Amino acid sequence: MSFLYPAFLFGALAVAVPIVLHLLRRDVAPEVPFTAVRLLKISPVERSRRTRLRDLLLLAARVAAVLLLAAAFARPFAPGAAAAMAPLRIVAVDRSFSMAAPGRFERVLERARAAVDEAAFAERVAVIAFDDRAAVIAEPGAAADARSSLSTLRAGSGGTRYSAVLSRAAEMANGGEARLIVITDLQRAGWEGDSRARIPATMQVETRDTGAPPANLGVVDARLDDRRVTAAIRNASAAPASGTVTLMHQGREVARAGYAAAPATTVEVSLPWQPSSGGVVLSIADDKGYPADNARYLVIHATEIPAVMIVSSPDSPGFYLQRALAADESRDPGGFRTRLVSTAEIAGGRAEMIAKHRALVLLSTRNLDRAAREAIAGFVRTGGGLLIAAAPDVEPSVVASLFGWSTAGFVPAEARQASLTATDSRHPILRPFGAFAANLGNVRFERAWKVDGTGWHVAARFDDGSPALLERGEGQGRVVLFASDLDRRWNDFPVHPTFVPFVTEAVRHVAARAVSPDQFVVGRVPAGIPGEPGVHQLEGGRAIAVNVDPRESSTSLMTSQEFSDMLEPVAVTMARSAREEQTESRQSLWQYGLLMMLGVLIVESFVGRA
Amino acid sequence: MASAPVGRALRFLDPGVIARLGTMELKARTVVEGFLSGLHRSPYKGFSVEFAEYRQYLPGDDLNTIDWKVYARTDRHYVKKFEEETNLECHLLLDQSASMSYRGAAPMSKLEYGSVLAASLAFLMNRQRDATGFIAFDEQIRFRLPAAARPGHLHALLLALERVQTGQRSNVGRPLHQLAEALVKRSLIVLISDLLDDPEPVIKGLRHLKFRGSDVVVFQVLDPNELTFPFKTAARFTDVETAEEIVADPSRARTDYLRELAGLTGRYDRELRGAGIDYVQLDTSQPLDFALLAYLSARARRK
Repeated sequence: MSFLYPAFLFGALAVAVPIVLHLLRRDVAPEVPFTAVRLLKISPVERSRRTRLRDLLLLAARVAAVLLLAAAFARPFAPGAAAAMAPLRIVAVDRSFSMAAPGRFERVLERARAAVDEAAFAERVAVIAFDDRAAVIAEPGAAADARSSLSTLRAGSGGTRYSAVLSRAAEMANGGEARLIVITDLQRAGWEGDSRARIPATMQVETRDTGAPPANLGVVDARLDDRRVTAAIRNASAAPASGTVTLMHQGREVARAGYAAAPATTVEVSLPWQPSSGGVVLSIADDKGYPADNARYLVIHATEIPAVMIVSSPDSPGFYLQRALAADESRDPGGFRTRLVSTAEIAGGRAEMIAKHRALVLLSTRNLDRAAREAIAGFVRTGGGLLIAAAPDVEPSVVASLFGWSTAGFVPAEARQASLTATDSRHPILRPFGAFAANLGNVRFERAWKVDGTGWHVAARFDDGSPALLERGEGQGRVVLFASDLDRRWNDFPVHPTFVPFVTEAVRHVAARAVSPDQFVVGRVPAGIPGEPGVHQLEGGRAIAVNVDPRESSTSLMTSQEFSDMLEPVAVTMARSAREEQTESRQSLWQYGLLMMLGVLIVESFVGRA
Repeated sequence: MASAPVGRALRFLDPGVIARLGTMELKARTVVEGFLSGLHRSPYKGFSVEFAEYRQYLPGDDLNTIDWKVYARTDRHYVKKFEEETNLECHLLLDQSASMSYRGAAPMSKLEYGSVLAASLAFLMNRQRDATGFIAFDEQIRFRLPAAARPGHLHALLLALERVQTGQRSNVGRPLHQLAEALVKRSLIVLISDLLDDPEPVIKGLRHLKFRGSDVVVFQVLDPNELTFPFKTAARFTDVETAEEIVADPSRARTDYLRELAGLTGRYDRELRGAGIDYVQLDTSQPLDFALLAYLSARARRK
């Protein structure tokens, strides 16, 4: 018997407490006042034999409880038990969707049963089913249990990933002697990249092939182009194939088109499609190959045109900005819907009205009351975008108060002659300019705020070094500050050709929101979504498409030797402590110790009350 | 027919009831009235030279008390009632030693029980116009109230009883000798004590009193715990007077203890009765009527 944490055995010294108490309190009797003491003969307290036995039982129970507690904390284990363990046979069954071809999975199960039946009498047998994940179907144990567990197996929708089953088997073998029998179609796509898989040298790996692959046709991709849906069909057989692609929307066929694919090629077929939101499925007929890749799902979202609110005043009408955004409005997609409001219109908050927009452009803060300021701040913190252009009607103190910034960071407009220089050409606002960003230097600025760039990302500066275009995050949203006017009062920017792309990109940048993916592969779906192909709804109501892994549609196979060559046996030099930890974890003797302690305490309480 | 009223009356002699009463006078009155209402015959109307009243003869009245002259005149039997002559001097001796403060399972301590007993006797004596004195002692006399029958004396005596405090160690013999030397008149001496003392000096002191011509009644007041030793678990028994400690297992020591106690009380009973002294053992959990009857019996003998 060894202990993982022998230091806890010092806790056994606590047995001294009940022993000392037992010895000290043995002759202690309570004091009783009395009168006729002289009539009492001195009779030392001699405990009866039964009482002494009870006391000894109590002492033994308390000592045993302390010893068991200390031993449980020390985590005991039997070191020889691991070595004496019977050899392990692991039967790994490939249940990827490539096994779902007619009659194929039955062959897999036959081979698996045969592999189980080959187990020696003393051999422990385990069953692992794998695709892109490995699941233990039968823990190491009797062959009969392993055999019966095979009857529950079905081919799934996942792709083959050998790394998953190899690591799970190595974990199960736990450094001991093991034999892994992988029953698979040896798809080359099951190996990710050319890197070899490391396995313990104590584990032998053997493959059992399931035979030649069927002639498979599959829809391996689907995408929405401009008013067309395009399907990519792979012919993985050695013969030409032709057929029809059907486009279904809400259970109704909306388009179909023919295809013809040469052997081992992929062809694209386009089907007309009037854009409409929802899920669509592109399917072909292939009764010989893998059923799971005969359909591919696609989710189409209705085009949403971002709405932008421009807060202006009579002195800052936002004329040039509005005209520039209107020029971009006709773009589909990519345009904006703009709405010009005065500060009076959002007085009192109007948070609901603000929240309907994707971005807010602040050209005036005159008469912007506290409720409106709080509504703007809340809008930004919940993911909205805010573009602030320094203008005669924009007060630095009001801007600073929006998010609790220091007013010292904003020096009101100073008269100066300056030009603009892009300092971060990779910034999303300036990136579209590319080499033409230098043209921004033609704009003459006569007046601009002097902003302290601390806490901001500066994308462009004036030629005197002061920040001109700044950005910072606030909550989930972002704020972009342009340190000069956009209404041609402090500069001549609106009459330059760079103005329209500049303000368009600036507004687009603040209006952009993180786009969540809507295409997933079986095995890599978000939590709560079943790992089956189809169109599913997330909790928020957003639809996502889940498809099979197109790599699994390939019929490119490898030989058993090539499979073996991908394995790299490594000697397991597990540290002694790690081995002991594993042994102790497997035996979990401490749990029995605590249970015994509980039993002893129960006995103690009964004896104590007797 | 009289059993029901007697039963109700005896209820007022229960120490548990008496312990809850307020003043000593109320306690004594309750005891005496309850006791007297339970008797069939008036015990304290005696002979006297001083005429009190005429009363129609009732069955049970002494025939000697019938006034035949009145019978001749009226043809009815009348008896003559006289104020009883006060010729008895009674001394109540109450042990106030520390052992008397012991209270085990009974509702009153021995000192409280003895005080109520003394007060009841004083109340009774006062109604009989007897001169009553009171002495409280432990190893020596701590308080003395000379015997008197004047009005207001009872109140002083009851007040003194109420103020009795627990004293020191007991030495019963010494105050008995002191009292015997001080007595100038034959008296009735009532000793109330637990007598858990060396019996030899106690008996000598009592004999001394008897020798001086006094009638002596001894009430040995004991707690039920002292009488039965009901303890169950082993304990350190500490003497409340001497602080002497003895560790004993009651299951083993009970028999010896009870034998020793029986020897002690048997000796008192034997030797005191032999000397013509009334010895009454009282249990503080029991009613007081037994003690009062013992007193009246002693007084009747004196007549």
